[in-house]
Amino acid sequence: MKVKDMVKILEGTVLSGEDKMEKEVKYIGAADMMSDVLALSKPDMIILTGHTSIQAIRTAIVTDLLGLVFVRGKEIPEKTIEMAKEANLLLVHTNTYMYAACGKLYNAGLRGIDERR
Amino acid sequence: MNGDNKYCKLTKYIRIFQDLKAEEIMTKTVVTLTSDKKMSQAKEMMKIKKVSGIPIVQQDKTLIGIVSIEDIILALESGTIENRIEKHMSKTVISVREKETLSQIVEKFNRYRYGRFPVVDKTGKVVGIISKEDILHSILEKFSLIYLHDEKRKSKLNQDRSLITGESLKISEAEFHYNINSTEISAAGEGAAHLKQFLKEQDIEEEIRRRVGIATYEAETNVVIHSKSKGDIYCFLKKDRIIVRVIDFGVGIEDLNLAMKEGFSTAEDYVRELGFGAGMGIPNMKRFADKLVILSEKKVGTQVEMVFYLS
Repeated sequence: MKVKDMVKILEGTVLSGEDKMEKEVKYIGAADMMSDVLALSKPDMIILTGHTSIQAIRTAIVTDLLGLVFVRGKEIPEKTIEMAKEANLLLVHTNTYMYAACGKLYNAGLRGIDERR
Repeated sequence: MNGDNKYCKLTKYIRIFQDLKAEEIMTKTVVTLTSDKKMSQAKEMMKIKKVSGIPIVQQDKTLIGIVSIEDIILALESGTIENRIEKHMSKTVISVREKETLSQIVEKFNRYRYGRFPVVDKTGKVVGIISKEDILHSILEKFSLIYLHDEKRKSKLNQDRSLITGESLKISEAEFHYNINSTEISAAGEGAAHLKQFLKEQDIEEEIRRRVGIATYEAETNVVIHSKSKGDIYCFLKKDRIIVRVIDFGVGIEDLNLAMKEGFSTAEDYVRELGFGAGMGIPNMKRFADKLVILSEKKVGTQVEMVFYLS
């Protein structure tokens, strides 16, 4: 699945990293704890999160994520978006809640990193 | 992870362990007795020092035998516990040379089934003793060194030396320096991001950069959240490895064993709201660094040293 398909399924808005629409979604996961992202993520991964502070962006930069999807229609601090743009990180915003967002993507065939080799 | 990558990791670990020598593994404060002492004295010594075997030596420390708990039991049963050791000690004692490697030592444990081996130097003098526990400890230490700070090591805080190898690491000669100048949680991670960028400019491979970045991020976050002080990140580039030191002068870690546990945290709620404080900090550093040493003294500060091998 490509990033643009994922955005479509989540009825999301792209806030940063518009050039990544044709990229393949290789790895995906969901977490609100940044320490868990640091511990378990893979490079080029997309993380669904409700965590919108700049710490999320720093974590994404440090772990070489492809990008973040902010769920639950959260209001996103200006600084967060700015920093993501600077790092050319994919940033997607969706009103879908975490559970449903994960469910929809899973249903469309995206599996978690613990389910794949 | 692909096969090649796994292979690289494996050879790296072999390299770490193959050069472990008896002299690095052994306990150096070895209890010895001369053979003119009584078996009952050996028994008392074992009880007090909590050891299960005592090398027997001449005055000049030359190894001539060993007394084990089995020998003590025999002496007790036969009513000879007040006899001199020389009559009852095992004279065919298997010892290990200082320079013998881990694999040779393990082979001896397997072949002879003794609980411990005295370590001797070239002239046959006892310089240490190795039990299975010593081996376990040395391997664990080699994997990731965690030292609880104690009085002996106090002098090492603030020294320009590696906590791991003792080599000179003058902070004035560090290739990278970042001053953690804020207790604002929102600034946490800035230094790690800078360091990662710096490593990119130095053409360090991506996987290593990522590991350094993550471990440093956690260390930096700890300074910001917990130390209640300012701190510094230093990075040293060596031919075969990267060394990162994160130093603060804050409150120190009260119980490092607890801090090491996944899930343990003293962080306050506002920290948790920012996605940290889940008790993953030090475990994460351990996960991503090849070696890790943490020295901490209450009210003096904390020093973290991490080594990342370039494959």
